[in-house]
Amino acid sequence: MIGFAALAVLAGVLVVVSRQINGRLALSTSAMESSFWNHLVGLVFITLAALAVGGLFAGEPAASPWWAFLGGPVGVIFIAAGSWLIARIGAAQTAMLIIAGQMISGVVLDIVLGAPGNPLARSIGVALILAGMWITRPGRTRT
Amino acid sequence: MSHPPRVYHFAAAFGAGGLLSLMVLFNGTLATYGSLFFSSWVPHLTGSVTALILLAFLRPKRATATRPPLWAYLGGISGGLTVMLTSATLNSALALSGTIALGLAGQVVFSLYADIRGLFGMPRKMPGARDYLSLSLIVAGSLVIIFFGGAS
Repeated sequence: MIGFAALAVLAGVLVVVSRQINGRLALSTSAMESSFWNHLVGLVFITLAALAVGGLFAGEPAASPWWAFLGGPVGVIFIAAGSWLIARIGAAQTAMLIIAGQMISGVVLDIVLGAPGNPLARSIGVALILAGMWITRPGRTRT
Repeated sequence: MSHPPRVYHFAAAFGAGGLLSLMVLFNGTLATYGSLFFSSWVPHLTGSVTALILLAFLRPKRATATRPPLWAYLGGISGGLTVMLTSATLNSALALSGTIALGLAGQVVFSLYADIRGLFGMPRKMPGARDYLSLSLIVAGSLVIIFFGGAS
């Protein structure tokens, strides 16, 4: 259990590491080129890992709905945005605002998709996140 | 020292978080039909093609003439490892909520450290009191949603 907890924390650390490294590549190239290399190198890495472990096409992948295949193009924009932002507002604020956007849109998606949930807890959570964003809101102090 | 983000930075980062929700939905759906490898392999494949097409059309200028260090091309490995770690912990006693919450903790603490030290050749940035307060509120709100917001 402790081992898995450490792995879960490490996964969060690696999110920052890849954003930091992609940001460094974007400093010398461009956010879009950095996103391209991130995807290509990641593809090679996952392909090798899948070949080593096996089971890449296990299950019923062909039965997936067509829209489930749209994660790639969305990811390209997401990674490019991260590389662009981290050089401008830093790692912590980038992570913080992305988390805020993810949590709030996740609640909205859950409501739209009709996922059951606790409205009170969702409201309190969203309110706390908005309060956190309000505190760093732009234009408060001199630039 | 710390500059508050501009409105468009704010909007871009918040919007990127929204994109991340969509990615989780799309890739997570792939994972329910195919393997976890497949759910990460497909977006990396279609993403590489998409980025190549966008590069061909947009032709963004290179920021500097000097070559970036070779390690700067390896961010994708770290991203691929993230997917594998996450799929391992998702199937443990941590489940989805524990995996997300601990991942969040790792992101917040390490991003502060990365700013303070200027890790991987990025600019150093000292977080201010406002940043810490804001981070705490966002983390608190996220934890409430993760642990109490779902169906119980």
